This record gives sequence, structure tokens and C-alpha cells, in this order.
Amino acid sequence: MELSLTSFRREEVLQYLHWRGGEIPSEVNAQIDSCIAETLAVIQPRYTYRHFQLHHTPEGVSLCDTDILLPGQDIRSLLADCQSCVLMAATLGAGLEVAIRRAQVRDLTRAVILDCCGSAAIEAVCDAVEQHICTHATFLTDRFSPGYGDMPIDFQYELVGLLDTARQIGLTLTDSYILMPRKSVTAIIGFAKQPQTKRFRGCAYCSMFENCTFRKAGKTCGR
Amino acid sequence: MEDKILYLDGAMGTMLQKSGLAPGHNPELLCLTAPEKIVAVHRAYIDAGAQVIYANTFGANRYKLQKSGEPTGKVIAAAVACAQKAAQGTDARIALDVGPIGQLLEPYGTLPFEEAYDIFREMMEAGQKAGAGLIVIETMTDLYETKAAVLAAREHTSLPVFVTMTFEQSGRTFTGCSVEAMAATLEGLGVDAVGVNCSLGPRELRPIVKRLCQATSLPIIVKANAGLPDPVTDTYNIGAEEFALLMAEYVDMGVSIMGGCCGTTPEYIREIVRQTAGKIPALRQPSQKSVVCSATNVVEIDGVRVIGERINPTGKKRFKQALLEGDMDYILDQAVQQADAGAHILDVNVGLPEINEPEMMVRIVKSIQGITNLPLQIDSSDPEAIEAGLRVVNGKAIVNSVNGERAVLDRILPIAKKYGAAIVGLTMDENGIPPTAETRFAIAERILNAASAYGIPKKDVFIDCLTLTVSAEQDKAVQTLRAVQLVHDKLGLHCVLGVSNISFGLPCRELITTGFLTLAMAHGLDLPIINPNSQPVMDAIRVFNVLYHHDQNAEDYIAACMGRTQTAAPIAVPSPSPADAVHPLILAIEKGMKDHATALTQDLLKSGMSGLDIVNTLLIPALDMVGEQFERGEFFLPQLMNAAGATQQAFEIIKTAIAVQDEQPVSKGKIIVATVKGDIHDIGKNIVKTILGNYGYQIIDLGRDVPPETIVQTAITQDVHLIGLSALMTTTLNSMEKTIHALHQSGHHCKIWVGGAVLTPDYAKKIGADYYARDAKQSVDIARRVLG
Repeated sequence: MELSLTSFRREEVLQYLHWRGGEIPSEVNAQIDSCIAETLAVIQPRYTYRHFQLHHTPEGVSLCDTDILLPGQDIRSLLADCQSCVLMAATLGAGLEVAIRRAQVRDLTRAVILDCCGSAAIEAVCDAVEQHICTHATFLTDRFSPGYGDMPIDFQYELVGLLDTARQIGLTLTDSYILMPRKSVTAIIGFAKQPQTKRFRGCAYCSMFENCTFRKAGKTCGR
Repeated sequence: MEDKILYLDGAMGTMLQKSGLAPGHNPELLCLTAPEKIVAVHRAYIDAGAQVIYANTFGANRYKLQKSGEPTGKVIAAAVACAQKAAQGTDARIALDVGPIGQLLEPYGTLPFEEAYDIFREMMEAGQKAGAGLIVIETMTDLYETKAAVLAAREHTSLPVFVTMTFEQSGRTFTGCSVEAMAATLEGLGVDAVGVNCSLGPRELRPIVKRLCQATSLPIIVKANAGLPDPVTDTYNIGAEEFALLMAEYVDMGVSIMGGCCGTTPEYIREIVRQTAGKIPALRQPSQKSVVCSATNVVEIDGVRVIGERINPTGKKRFKQALLEGDMDYILDQAVQQADAGAHILDVNVGLPEINEPEMMVRIVKSIQGITNLPLQIDSSDPEAIEAGLRVVNGKAIVNSVNGERAVLDRILPIAKKYGAAIVGLTMDENGIPPTAETRFAIAERILNAASAYGIPKKDVFIDCLTLTVSAEQDKAVQTLRAVQLVHDKLGLHCVLGVSNISFGLPCRELITTGFLTLAMAHGLDLPIINPNSQPVMDAIRVFNVLYHHDQNAEDYIAACMGRTQTAAPIAVPSPSPADAVHPLILAIEKGMKDHATALTQDLLKSGMSGLDIVNTLLIPALDMVGEQFERGEFFLPQLMNAAGATQQAFEIIKTAIAVQDEQPVSKGKIIVATVKGDIHDIGKNIVKTILGNYGYQIIDLGRDVPPETIVQTAITQDVHLIGLSALMTTTLNSMEKTIHALHQSGHHCKIWVGGAVLTPDYAKKIGADYYARDAKQSVDIARRVLG
């Protein structure tokens, strides 16, 4: 399914660009605005999702009608209150990838800013998808992706296969489990009957904990 | 065109899910574990009236099967056997069904074109061996992957090839391939039928198929979904009867091959057969326009189309140097500049005696395709380089060139035909360039006839009547113009000319070049090979388009002039305060003012300052200063990069000056940088590369997804003793470790530094790196320590 994105968070772009609150020269602000505009013009956000009933077993949580067990303890506790979940995948498409590569040839600054815009934009797309899914359930858990907590990144393979993302939205996986196009996300969101606390979108659970530039600067990336 | 309809089958996956196949599994494996289920599906489709059944081989490629451990050959043999069993005693034909590999090809992804080809080759060979009578390549979204599959089918089987791609409502595939680009490219590659399948229902596909009917003279295939799916229930919204009614309308548009895709069942096929029985596909009137294309950009040659000439080392010292050093950035910059300046097609010539031309052609064609969407013209006198280039072109290219010499025609035309390229025919032969227009016309005619004999359509033959230097042969310019007129009027062919040659040796060359260009366009030239970066040249074309009523209401012309009448805002020149007296070049770099940095560097060189002095006393101190501001958090990334960009421009001026004067290039030592195998996040590496380059180091950038052996080999052959590796993913750190290990094993003496988001100093030490760099600044410190 396609989705049209009209904006994403500028502050998030600045954070990715290692901004630490200094004065931004007007020409740099103009560069950033122009990159935000280009990003919105070249991306083609698409998403797909599937709803699965959950089966809570002594080994963990599995998806009904499949033989797939969600790996790790973290996902198990995230979904503890949930009877069902949604697996989702979203991508910005290949257009931004080309724009970034092209910018790298003539203007690396632009490439760097576009790359950060892509990261902010895919988050905004996921938020929009979540909003859309939300109508189906009372309460949602955090989005949880392979690589978070103790869920191995190679679980991407299962998610991409279950959602048939190549066919549905043009999203594929490399041998190193990198999603292609790069600015893409896969995630699991649980549906529960009672409100869910935010627990997995804090720094402690992030795989970037050690090296995160925001955290080093005493900030979080806003989750 | 076909006079009757050929009926295909419907969905396999839908039927298997109905019989209990769990999502996320390879349906192909059922041919081994439950063949009776597959036979039953085929049988039901044949009973419904399908004349072609697709064997259950869609994803039977080695990538998708790798987790199952089953080899492609075995799965395909079993799948074809199921189809054969079902077809026994009927006339049904069995197609080997070939779907996408499941990995994105370069340049968007990492799978090399050659590897995709090999994966498909394996499938094609197995299919033919198992007894398939037809190859169907379907559900494709990437034209490049489709080309790899078609080449594999044509080169390894003798079977007919049908191709269908999957489009969104926008009329483009996920990777941006348009209907027209698919048609032009696949028709050129000699497929037997072309069409669309999946993603949309027959109603939504209508405008797409309509465009396809215009774009190709091949038989057209439509295999639509049963409407649109519901994301929650996964059911489709159109029943068999309505589906067939909509499909019947396609027969009146000229579609002659039809079936169903996702959500369809034998019932849908039965209805199609019932509702279209006896119907004859309408006669179509496809467009006869000449087109060339990339996957995402189709250029119709129905007016003057500019072929950019700048990717060519002839007479360009800086370009030669870039080719010899494998400096892709410089060459790609030439491509982007021309694209930005308004070129429609790019000529690609990499002929230099010192390099392996076919290899370089492949490398450059692939790189250019990654950053522009302009169709390419492969320019070489070496048939091997031409073939190598055409093979990796994504789209429909032009070959520059053949001439009237029989041996050349017989050597090059079959290559052009095989890859579906248009050709440029030079009006010369073994006796040289004929002096008169009439004799050049005769050669043009001969080239056209030879091309036709090889099956190259007339619309794909372009003629170059040859520009001779007017200062040397003043009476010949008019012969060229007359020859263009003859070829244009009497043969109705498009005309190419390398225009700038006309003015060689005369002062104010642009005056002669643009004058000749205007005259030539008036005589019928529509494919000038020129420098699009030259404003007078592009202006001459704009004026021509107004005067010849190609530019409706002079819109393009006015738009081009509008931008010009506004005077550019004066650059605020940073004025040094007398107290600190910082050099203006340093200030320009600090503020990231590229144009200003360029101008100041030019002035300094003119004033006699050496390139090396400029680097050491101005560029490097400026960068150090900016680096420190970045460290202190006063500058953030865009400011650091803008300063690096300005320095890079200044450096480019110095490099060009040095190349022209044949002086020794500035080099403080060679450094290899690479993003390791499996990883494609290379922006960080590129930042480091740019900044190290600005400090005067000679950087050999091996790119991204680089295998350890390439790094080891380059380090040894180029004698490099400092190597920087980057990786962004936890999953590719392993590959970084392997690379370091391979470098140590080789015995080549070198220092290795590593960087990337997931790395830590401890981990860097653990995997055997000599240094860890957090950012570009630390990388510079390391380079200084190791190389000085």
C-alpha cells in the first residue's frame, strides 16, 4: 500500500546531523530545508502488514498458522498481555537511494543531510502506519524490530518472508540482513486489551547504546 | 500480431494456500513433498481451458532455496514433471516460471548483474533439460534483473521467452521502470511476448496496458490479479464473471495472451475462455518513434536530443589521469554535470591504450547508471568493449559506431542486434571519408541496408555524416550539411554529428561551433554530440526549438532566459579583520563557499604560488581549524562537510593545473579506503575519503561491499601501506575481521584503521586493527602518524 508523507520532524534531522545547539548559519538552514523538500519529493513510502493471532507456549510466543516462534525474552515480555500482533514493513523506496548516491558525487554535504532526512522520514512513515493499524485494536505495544534487545537481526529473514515484502512493497534483504532499499523498517506491534507501558524504545534497549551520538551528548533520539 | 487468443493459467499460490500451505514457505518444495497437490492444480487449470501452464518454479532459484538445502535442478525437474503429468494427453504447453531472485541488484542493492545472470542461467538450463517448452519471466519489478534473466534464457536455451513485469497504478514498477522502458528494452532483447502481471486487477491495469499497446509491436500478455486485496483478510474483490468481462475488453485493445494472477482460480480462467471464445484480438497501431532509454527514463527522438560528449579522454589530460587512477568520482562528476546541464543522452568513451577498455567500460557504465537516469551511447572502436558495455546497460542504448566497411558492419551489427541497441553509422568506409554529400549518402544507404539485413529496425539506425574541421578543409562543411539533408529527407533517418570538431584550430571556437550547429539542425541534425555545459551551444538549440515551433509558446526558452535576467546576488566576500589577518581562502573554506574558494585558488596559482604550497599553508590549516570547531561542537556535520566541499573544489583546480603542466601530482602517500563485504553504508567512508583527500593523501576508494581479496590485492599491487575499513552493521563486523585477517595473512606490511557506528576501540583491537577512528578528524590524525 502507498502512503503520502507531507512532513517529518526537522529536529530529528538536526540530531542525526550531530547538532549540539550551536547557531545554524542561514545557508545551512536553507540546505537542510532544500533536502527535506527533495526527500519528500523523491520518496515513495509503501507499507504492508499482517495480523496474526498469538500462541503463548512454554517456549515463547508463536504466530498462529505458521511454525514461527518469536525469538528472545524481550519480545516475549513485550507481548505478554497480547492475544494478537501485527507484523509490519515499510520502505521509502529506491528513489531516495538514487538521490543520495547522486548527491555523493557532487555535494557530499547534501548526501549526508538527505541520508539523515531519510532516517527521520521512515520513522514518520512508521508512525503513520501505526496510526492506521491502531483503528484495529484498543492498545498497541511499542514497535519492536529485529536487532532490538535480544531479538537477533537475522529474524529479518522470517519477517520479510512472512510479509512477502519483495512482492508487496519492493523490499528485500541482503545476505548481511540489511534491508534494501536502506531506508526501511520491519517491526512487530502487539495488540492488548489494556494500556501498554513504553519500555523498549528507550536507550537501554537500543543496539546503538554503546556508540549513540545523541546519548553521548546527553540526549535521546526522542523515543 | 496474433489472430487468436492464447490462454494462460491462473494463480498457483492462491490454490496452494487454499489447500493449506503456510505463509513464508517455499511453495516450490511441494513438488517434492506433495506432488499430487501440484498436479491437481495444473489439471484444474487445463480443464478450465488454459493452454499454457506455469510449472511451480517461480522461486526455485538458489538464493530462495538456500535454506531448504534443495538444489535448483532437482526442484525444477520435479516441478516440470508435475506439469507434464497434468498435461498428459492434452495440448497444454509447459512453461518454466521464473520470478525475481529476491535480492535487489546493483546499483540499488548489492547483487551483481553477473551473479543474477548466473542464478537465472541455472534455472533456464534446468528448465530446458526437464522438458519445459517455454520460458516465462514474471512479476519482475527491476528491468536490470529482467535483462539478466532474458539474456540467460536466450543464451542457454532455444525456448521462446515471455516476460511480464509488475506495475503500480502510477505506471511504474517499484524500482521506477516505466511501461515504455520495459517495451523498448525487451523488444530489443528479442523476447517473444511482453506484458504485465500481478499487483493490480484488470480494471486498474487498463491504462498501463493501453500504454503498452502503443509502445510495442510484440504480442501482449495480461495476467491480472482478481482485483485488489484486503490487507486483513487477504481476499480479492472481483469474482470470476466480472474478471472475465473486464479481461474480454483487453481483446479489443489487441491483447492476445491472457490469464490470471493472485486470487484467481480455475473458475476465472474458465470464464475468460467462455467470454472471449471466437474473439479476435484487435489490430494495434504501435508508435514507430525512435526511442532510447534507461530503466526509468525514455527519450523519444522526436526533436533535437543532446548527446553529451564529455565522458571521453580524447584531448583531456585531467580525464586521462582520472581513468588511469580509476578516479570514478571525477568521471561521475562529468556525468552529473552534463545531466544537470540538460543532456538527454550520455556518450561513454573510455578508450586509452594503457587500460583494459572492456573492463573499464563495464565499470563506468554501471557507475553512471547508479547516479543518472540518462540513456547511454556506448562509444568505442573495440567490439569487445562495445559488447561488454551493452551487456551491462540497463535499458536501450546506442552504439557509436559502425561505418560502411563490410568487416565492421559484420562484426558490430550482430552485437547491436543481440542487445537491441540503436546504431550510429559513420558515412565512411575502407576508402576513407568521401568528399561529396552524394557519396556519403550512398554509404548511409548501404549501412541502412546492412542493418536491415541483420534485423535492426530502420528507426534504430542513426547516421553521422561526419564533421570535418573547417580550418583544415573549408569546402567540406557544406558537404556535411548537404549530406545531413539528404539522409534526413530521402532515408528518413535521424542524424548524429560530433559538432565541436568543426571549429578546431580557430579562435573563439564557440562562435563557429554554434553557427554550424544551427545550420546543421536546420538541415536535419537531431542528435548533436556536444558539450551541454556550454551555454552558447545549449542556447543555439533553444533558439532553434523556438524558430522551428518545437518549443510551444517558447516556454523552455523563456524559462531559460528568466533565470538569466536576474542578476546573481553578489557573493559576500569575507573580509579579514586586520588584527588576525586570516587569509581569505581560509575564510572561504571555513564558510564552505565553493565558488569563492575556487576563484581564490585560481588567483593564487596565477600569482605563481605552487599547488603544494597552497595545500600546506592554506588548505590544511583551514581544515584543521574547521575540524577543531567540529570537535568542540561549535560546528555540526553540514558545516564540516561544506568546508570539505570547498576544499575539494580548490584541490580540483590544483589537480587540473598540475595535469595540464605535466607536473608531479600532490601526494602525501597512498591510502586505501573501503566499506567491507556485505555492507553498503558508505557515507561515513566517503566523508573520511573526502577529508583525507583534502589533506593531500592519494585515496584509492574501493567502494562498498568490497571482498577481502580485492583489498589485499590492491594493497599489494599498488603498494599501499595504510588501509581504512568501515562497517556500520553488527552483521558485517565479521567481514571486517576477515578482511584484517586476510591482510595479515598476505604478509603485506600495512597499518589498518577501522571505523563505523557499531565499532568500539576495544572491539577494533580485538579484531586485529591497528587503530580505531571515531570520525574523519581522528582518521586524519592516524594518517599523519603513519604517513606523515
